[in-house]
Amino acid sequence: MVGVVGLEIHAQINSLSKLFSGSQVKFLAPPNSLVSCFDASLPGTLPVLNKRCVEAAVMTGLALNCSINRKSLFDRKHYFYADMPAGYQITQQRLPIAVDGTLTYSYLGGTKRNQMVTKSVRIKQIQLEQDSGKSLHDEPRNQTLIDLNRAGVGLMELVMEPEMSCGEEAAAAVRELQLILQTLGTCWGNMAEGQLRVDANVSVHVPGEPLGIRTEVKNINSARFLARAIDYEIQRQMELLEQGGIVQNETRAYDQKSGTTLPMRDKEDFQDYRFMPEPNLPPLRVYDSASVPAGLDPSQVVLVDQLQAGLPELPSVRRDRLVQTYSILPEHSFTLVNEDGLLDYFESVVKSTKAEPKKVIGWVMKELVGSLNQQNLQVSQSPVSSHALAELLALLEAGSISSSAAKR
Amino acid sequence: MNVLSLSIREVSHALREGQLSPTELCRKCLNRIKRTRHLNAYITVTEETAMRQAQEAEARLQSGTPRGPLDGIPFAVKDNFCTKDILTTCASKMLQGYVPPFSATVVQKLLDQGAVLLGKTNLDEFAMGAGSTDGAFGPVHNPWSDAESYRQHGGPEAESDWVITGGSSGGSAAAVASLSSYFALGSDTGGSTRNPGALCGLVAVKPTYGLLSRHGLIPLVNSMDVPGIMTRSARDAATILGILKGQDMLDATTIPSPPGQTDLPEDFDIRQITVGIPQEYHAPGLSRETLRQWSRVTDLFEEAGVQVREVSLPHTQFSIVCYHVLCCCEVASNMARFDGLEYGHRSPESSSTEAMYAATRHEGFNDVVRRRILAGNYFLLKQNYERYFVKAQQVRRLIAEDFTKVFSSGVDVLLTPTTLSDAATYRDFISEDNRTRSAQEDVFTQPANMAGLPAVTVPTALSSRGLPISLQLIGQPLQDRKLLAVAHWMEQRMGFPQIRFHGDCGEEDGAPLAETEGTAGP
Repeated sequence: MVGVVGLEIHAQINSLSKLFSGSQVKFLAPPNSLVSCFDASLPGTLPVLNKRCVEAAVMTGLALNCSINRKSLFDRKHYFYADMPAGYQITQQRLPIAVDGTLTYSYLGGTKRNQMVTKSVRIKQIQLEQDSGKSLHDEPRNQTLIDLNRAGVGLMELVMEPEMSCGEEAAAAVRELQLILQTLGTCWGNMAEGQLRVDANVSVHVPGEPLGIRTEVKNINSARFLARAIDYEIQRQMELLEQGGIVQNETRAYDQKSGTTLPMRDKEDFQDYRFMPEPNLPPLRVYDSASVPAGLDPSQVVLVDQLQAGLPELPSVRRDRLVQTYSILPEHSFTLVNEDGLLDYFESVVKSTKAEPKKVIGWVMKELVGSLNQQNLQVSQSPVSSHALAELLALLEAGSISSSAAKR
Repeated sequence: MNVLSLSIREVSHALREGQLSPTELCRKCLNRIKRTRHLNAYITVTEETAMRQAQEAEARLQSGTPRGPLDGIPFAVKDNFCTKDILTTCASKMLQGYVPPFSATVVQKLLDQGAVLLGKTNLDEFAMGAGSTDGAFGPVHNPWSDAESYRQHGGPEAESDWVITGGSSGGSAAAVASLSSYFALGSDTGGSTRNPGALCGLVAVKPTYGLLSRHGLIPLVNSMDVPGIMTRSARDAATILGILKGQDMLDATTIPSPPGQTDLPEDFDIRQITVGIPQEYHAPGLSRETLRQWSRVTDLFEEAGVQVREVSLPHTQFSIVCYHVLCCCEVASNMARFDGLEYGHRSPESSSTEAMYAATRHEGFNDVVRRRILAGNYFLLKQNYERYFVKAQQVRRLIAEDFTKVFSSGVDVLLTPTTLSDAATYRDFISEDNRTRSAQEDVFTQPANMAGLPAVTVPTALSSRGLPISLQLIGQPLQDRKLLAVAHWMEQRMGFPQIRFHGDCGEEDGAPLAETEGTAGP
């Protein structure tokens, strides 16, 4: 038996205002201080689409090799919950903005964890939708406090095909996605702050046989916990089946303390969301420069080719470039790009020294990163500055000191 | 001449000439509202605000800087439009005490023009109904119940056997027809402006969908709702339409309005028009008198050299059913926000959030609303969606295409009845339920909503009961001005009498109209 993992990711769009209203998007603000009439579902208010959010979704789609649908549609997804004031969420169920993409990710595998393993997972679609507010349960007073600051913030929901098989792959995929989103600037990607929310659909089966019943695992706020939660759930299901049990199609929450998944208390009966087209939003059209209809106000037009041309250097491209430029190993390039600040450090050392980049990388990787990890420090907290290291290497080159002395 | 029965054009002229002041005019209207309280046309009368606005208009007029043709003109607004800091109820317990923090775009435009807001008018709860009889504040009386013509023909029973305004914008219609207001905003989803407009003898307009902003109009069916205009002349309606139209950034379903003039052309040659008479509009239940008016006006057009031809809109028979399905679906969706949490009525039931929702919604909505919500949720269920919602939308397209075909064959406007007959008595009307009445009454009006077309009702004559009979003109999309030009031509040749109230000497401060006051109760 093997595990089958699909991820559903909600990425909060990095924009100044919300998806359908002009209220501000800001993490940590006094409760209900960033709520417009529309966000509060006051009757008579209508959604107005935020151009920046559309651009963010298109850019993200392009970076993930998706087809951008030149026409996409908005729908209402109905359910009653206190943090969803309108009684429905505006989403893109029928025809989302981007489909059929690929996310290529890598991780250091093998017995010594120093071999690059590269995989890819298909992105089924990316859709724009509204975030909900937050509920805070006040058990002692038997009440629930609702904060609508987050209600209406733009989300990109990314749905991945169930092509991964374990926690490590899922974590690597998420880390790569975070990097891409951060590079694009379309999402800050901080899982702990809820800017990137990952739900895992997990099932097990014998290869060749039909897929097993899947469970949805939620409440995961880091890539590391994601890996643990998935691996635990795969294990749990396998054991259950081996004992002759049946996997329930349910939602489970990851419990950090115990490292296990537990059935969520609010067990929902089958929900019929009664999808209906959103009548207040005409179809969303995006264009190419060559095919913009005459008479359109330019400020109202999103140009896909322009966004494509303006995309920044994506992590995978950067890694290849580093390998080419500095003749370093892909494994090293991978780490350089993945570790926050490490690339800048490396490049500044390379600039200030005559030593070959191949040598510099060895020092950076083995000695620097090694000791930083030992002391649990970030690159920015390194006691050895890049200048210092450059000097050290210069001394080493000149033969003034021995390599073992330098290591100390 | 009773200044309250003047057209907007005339009274605006009087204000500019200094024949009377905006504050005097406002005071007259407010007094009129007091005298006609038994009609139950208003839910909220904004006396202080109105007088203040009138004073501001007066200052502008005195300094020779009026904002436009509506400066100082008193008007009323249906209570499903948001008005900033003024109670907005939709005639529902669900919005008891609800005061919006913003005004609807169309309301704001009128206020920006210096028009004077008298108050919010009564309606069927959440605009669902064809009688203005199903609101939390009681039914609206048709002012023609007190008219000389009705009383004469009706005998002694007529006084207690009052007639309905039609709906759902009955309060707005009553306000204008009773002469307490020069124009009023209604809303039109299936005929809610044209129906009461017709039964109250007014010129009532449903503009092309997307021409006027719906921001601030509490929605019934988002894909069909439009703000409607009720007034006493086509020319006045055109003036108001010109002010209200325009793309609104706050409403993504608005379109840029066609450029050019908005006031009616002075030199309109009716002979360039081709009028179509749709054969399917000979509906069952159409009264003989309305039919006679239909023929009368058809002949009038022909005699004037207008091309008149019979046309067919073959899918008309399916329209009312599709309308009902789509209406219920949107209602179910639009009403989902009313949960007692953020605003409006909240039930004291607190055992759980869900229990609170259920109790709030049961207490807050009348059974007309609840029925439509249940039906709509049923139609939207995954297993039913294709069969009901999608099917209705497909048929809707066929209905719209019927019109397109007819218009592209050279027809400019269609002439049809607006309602089956003149206004029913309240007693008769309530003998059938809301759903049945809506289905019967909306026959002529809702196809225009399904297709997004502009339409206008024009009063033509009084019936044998002394009540207004009206006819409807339906126009091509975005040809609202042309439509109103035809309506104006028609209006000038109808000889429709001005309303004269029983016991009234023609002076607005004359004897009270009714012995009894107070609302007729829910």
